[in-house]
Amino acid sequence: MRARSAAARITVLLCENSAWKASAELPADSALRGVDFVKIPCSGRVDAGLLLSLLEHGSAGVLAVGCPKDDCTFLRGNYRAEKRVSATRAILREAGLDEGLVRLSFVSAMDAHRLRESVLDFKRYLDDNSSS
Amino acid sequence: MLTGYSKVLILGCGTCVTVCMAGGEKEVGILASTLRLANRKEGRSVAIDEATIERQCDREFFDTVRDRISNADAVLSMACGVGVQFLAEVFPDTIVLPGLDTKFYGATVGQGVWAERCSGCGSCVIADFGGICPVTRCSKGLLNGPCGGSQNGKCEVDPKGTDCGWQLIYDRMKKLGQLSKLETVTPLKDWSTTRFGGPGTIVKEDALP
Repeated sequence: MRARSAAARITVLLCENSAWKASAELPADSALRGVDFVKIPCSGRVDAGLLLSLLEHGSAGVLAVGCPKDDCTFLRGNYRAEKRVSATRAILREAGLDEGLVRLSFVSAMDAHRLRESVLDFKRYLDDNSSS
Repeated sequence: MLTGYSKVLILGCGTCVTVCMAGGEKEVGILASTLRLANRKEGRSVAIDEATIERQCDREFFDTVRDRISNADAVLSMACGVGVQFLAEVFPDTIVLPGLDTKFYGATVGQGVWAERCSGCGSCVIADFGGICPVTRCSKGLLNGPCGGSQNGKCEVDPKGTDCGWQLIYDRMKKLGQLSKLETVTPLKDWSTTRFGGPGTIVKEDALP
């Protein structure tokens, strides 16, 4: 990827049944500046086409956040997301790109703190690897 | 394979390879995005165009993308090996490259799993073997019973994964009460109808213009 410009933004895809609800509890926080939170119906919506398209169109990195394991509203959506994020990382690796540009994590609707940590950890990773 | 081309069209096929999630619109998008990201990282200036047509094994469907094909330095076809070659045939002046690695023509045996079922070899013998093709399902294509490599219903070629075709034939014909049919010795198959007789051509007289 190109070095991340000041304008380059991070996309966080949030399952509306868990992480999206948790995001409503996030306090106003300058550390989260430059992060776009996007609601998706289920983390199972995530696939290589969507993730790569977001990167191609300017996202510095994409973090998908689904429900905790075995607690998916659609039963297996987060397991599907896990497979698809893993497949996307394999594609990035094969193309000589940084597989860390896409990541998946799991948080419950009540866990705003963990969501924040997850996003900030991803942001740190991208900052540290922005020129690779 | 794409080195040296500055305008590449990735052309998907909307029929079989779409169904088996290999070369349809979605896979074209994934490959196009990946190439654009990789080119951007490497500082290569390559225009990646993407399109998907209904079929690449029928001349008519190319009409909608004729200009885009002409405009490209090379076309990366995401069709099966048939589509790739037919595209090259219809556009003799265009460089055509294969985007897939076609292994066989098979069935969807489960979600995300495809398996070979027919070799398209002509002189079909399926009727004599309970509806299971010994040419394709037996790794050795044997027509008169299994070899010594059949163990616990599996084939010695791949003892963990591949079923012994002859075990399948035996079990099915036993169930159907047709085991006695296997007492007939099957004569040599006419292999001239398969690849060994040269590329096949079928002409349906009443369909000709």
